[in-house]
Amino acid sequence: MKILIADDSRVMRQIVIRTLRQAGFDDHDIVEAEDGADAYAKVGAEKPDLVLSDWNMPNMSGIECLQALRSAGSTVPFGFVTSEGSPEMREKAANAGALFLIAKPFNEDTFTEALSGVIA
Amino acid sequence: MTTLDSGVRRRTSDTRPVITDLIDEATIESIAQEAWISLVGEDEVLVPLPGGPVADPVSSWVDVVGPWTGSVVLTTGRRTAEELTRALLQEHSPEVLEDEDVADAFGEIANVVGGNVKAALPGSSGLSLPDVGEAPALRNPDDLCRIELQWRGEPLSISVQGALPPLPAVP
Repeated sequence: MKILIADDSRVMRQIVIRTLRQAGFDDHDIVEAEDGADAYAKVGAEKPDLVLSDWNMPNMSGIECLQALRSAGSTVPFGFVTSEGSPEMREKAANAGALFLIAKPFNEDTFTEALSGVIA
Repeated sequence: MTTLDSGVRRRTSDTRPVITDLIDEATIESIAQEAWISLVGEDEVLVPLPGGPVADPVSSWVDVVGPWTGSVVLTTGRRTAEELTRALLQEHSPEVLEDEDVADAFGEIANVVGGNVKAALPGSSGLSLPDVGEAPALRNPDDLCRIELQWRGEPLSISVQGALPPLPAVP
C-alpha cells in the first residue's frame, strides 16, 4: 500500500519512515508532503491508502487538510503524528474523522498499536 | 507610567499564573528524557547536572499562547546542536550539515518538548511552529522554570519562560 507522510520537518518525516520500518511496516510505498496544502494535493494526485500527518504545519495545518479532504468527499484513512497529544486534540482529531493520533515522542510500539488495524 | 515589580509572588487568584504555579522542573525533565529516547536514541540520556557555560550558543523554541503565554526554549552550543542533528538523521546525515538541517532537527526537538509542556498546562492553548536562533528575552524572572542538563557531557538548558512583563504591583 501507499502511505503519504506529511510533516514540515524533513527530519521528522525520516524518523516516521524509520519508525514505520522498525514497527515492521517496511513493505510500503512512501510519499512525502511538506505541509497540509502539499498533502491535500498529493492525496488527489498519488491516491495514497493512508495519510500520516503532523498537526502544526505552515500553509495548511493537518486538521485543515483533513477537513478539506472530507469536504471534498475523500475518505482516505487519516491519522495524526503530532507533538500535541492532549485529550482535547484527540477529540478534535476524532471529530474531524481521524482514525488515530500518535503523540510525539513515539516508538515502534506506539506505531504498531495505532497501525496494526489500519495497515494490512 | 512606570511599573515596579514588588518581587513578591502574587496569589494566583488575583493575577495571571506564573509558570512555576503550573509545572515543575521534574515534569520538564521527564518530558525531555522521553523526547531524547524517542528522537535521539534509545541509549541517549540527559544527565540532570549543570554543564557550565555554553560556547557559541544556539536556541530553538516554540511559543505557547493560552491561559499562560510564553516560550519553551532549548539552548546548547552550536556544535552540540549539530551533533543532535546527526543523531536524529542517523544514516541520512550528510557529510556537511547545512544550517537548514540543524534548524529543522533542533527545532523539531523544541516542538516535541514544547508540545508536551503545553499538554501538561491547564486549559486550552495554541502552539507555534518552532524557531531557531537567539533565545527570546526573559521578560519576568519570576515567570521561569529552567533546568540545566548535560548531553554527551555538553551543557543544554530548557527554559519555560513567560512572554509577558510582570504585572504592576497591587497597592
